[in-house]
Amino acid sequence: MTALAPTEPRKLGGRTLNVVRLQLINTQSFVWVPLIVLAGAVVISLVIISLIPGDDVKVVGAANAPLWYFAALGVQAMTLAFPFSQAMSITRREFYIGTLIMGAIGSAMMATIFIVLAGIEAVTDGFGMGGRIAYLPYLFEPGWVSAWLTYFAATMFLFVIGFWMATVWKRFGTLAVVSVGVALGLAVTAAIFVITKAGVWPEVITWFVNTGSFALTLGGLAVTAVLAVGAYATLRRATV
Amino acid sequence: MDPVIQVRDLTKKYKDTTALDGISFDIERNSIYGFLGRNGAGKTTAMSILTAQNFATSGSVKVFGENPYENARVLNRMCFVRESQKYPDEANARVAFRSAAMFFPNWDQQLCEQLIDDFQLPLKTTIKKLSRGQLSAVGVIIGLASRAEITFFDEPYLGLDAVARQIFYDRLLEDYTEHPRTILLSSHLIDEIANLIERVLVIDKGRILMDSSAEEAREQATTVVGDAETVDAVVAGRDVLHREALGRVASVTFRGQLSGEERERVDAAGLELAPVPLQQLIVRLTQHESAAGATYETEGALR
Repeated sequence: MTALAPTEPRKLGGRTLNVVRLQLINTQSFVWVPLIVLAGAVVISLVIISLIPGDDVKVVGAANAPLWYFAALGVQAMTLAFPFSQAMSITRREFYIGTLIMGAIGSAMMATIFIVLAGIEAVTDGFGMGGRIAYLPYLFEPGWVSAWLTYFAATMFLFVIGFWMATVWKRFGTLAVVSVGVALGLAVTAAIFVITKAGVWPEVITWFVNTGSFALTLGGLAVTAVLAVGAYATLRRATV
Repeated sequence: MDPVIQVRDLTKKYKDTTALDGISFDIERNSIYGFLGRNGAGKTTAMSILTAQNFATSGSVKVFGENPYENARVLNRMCFVRESQKYPDEANARVAFRSAAMFFPNWDQQLCEQLIDDFQLPLKTTIKKLSRGQLSAVGVIIGLASRAEITFFDEPYLGLDAVARQIFYDRLLEDYTEHPRTILLSSHLIDEIANLIERVLVIDKGRILMDSSAEEAREQATTVVGDAETVDAVVAGRDVLHREALGRVASVTFRGQLSGEERERVDAAGLELAPVPLQQLIVRLTQHESAAGATYETEGALR
């Protein structure tokens, strides 16, 4: 008879990193689906570019498709993995931090792929056709590091939104998620309405140009951080 | 008493129902508990709160002397096998076990492999394509091989055939003997687990109906069988839990036991004393307790 020894506490920090491994169980959705979406978007963009006549630079932003997929990934990271994480006796905090780390890894991966794609475009002069899929002038104005950060921030932003919405759904139900969605839609519409009524679209666009993509990226990261805090607050009392 | 879990005045209210109504109990270290009660009695809710998967409306829960909520030190030492556990979409059983091995410090891979063989569990099929019985086997294997200091099994037998259930009971007892720990087993198949459990915790309508050792539980009631009139004379004035009659023969179950002198009289009168199986006792007790408030339910069932 050997009584079970109380567990030594040294392993506790590793539990958060193990959550990352737990999340990576769904490698199909995490690695392969975004890559396939990206490849598809690039191929379609190239076809469109080849069809546009003229020698000008042709900007086709379709490659952002896989970034949007990260919103769905954020949802899945919650709905598919949270119940199992609870069965593994993982605290909500460990689950949350591990999941964010995984989202950051995925976002860094996407950003890097986009920078590589932009590099190819820069070297080959847009695949010899002046095409711009990832190498968008506005983003690359402040430099390549800033552009990488922009892609990273956009992906992470969508991931956190998806994760938070799924957490709201787990905790408060479908009605709450729909209400939040409608509220956001109304806010955006109201903003567009106000800007149009006031006739200040040129000023707004000028502001975006003057502010520059780097400052906007930093702003986006700050918003993402706020959303992440909201997601954690919601998760703390969420049940399976 | 060396309690690993202490529950005091625990209440859980959902919008329009009270799942747990101010219950208090202790769970002793290194003991197998039968956590019994009807569907909706509050068993799963109680186990969810003990493992911090759900939240109490009021009252307190202490596990190893601490609040389990967001407490990795405590959660680390517990394993809760849910009847309706969800697994990651693409996971197969092998992947689920590998995850469990990462998070449960006492995980025994050898035991896991042996159980996989015992239950003939396919490892490469994704979990969502497994049969109900195979799904239960995944949970049972995680619960046993994790060898957590406190393990909760919530109706772990769903879909398992009689052979597989016996394997579960046998392996549980074998491993428990070698590695004593605290196990809470919630089940409707009370007679099947009657020989397994050392203590009985019965919950009904969010309240504790019985909290005793399995032996004491069996001594709580007696059944007398024989001539109806004689039987009725013997049980007169006693707390009768159940009465059945066929012709002139009656079988009456009542709370408590007969004294030595009464036994002799019963023998002399040609009556027989029958043991009350645990399942019978719990069914009768539950019916008895709710009889007053539930007359209309019975009528509803008769219609």
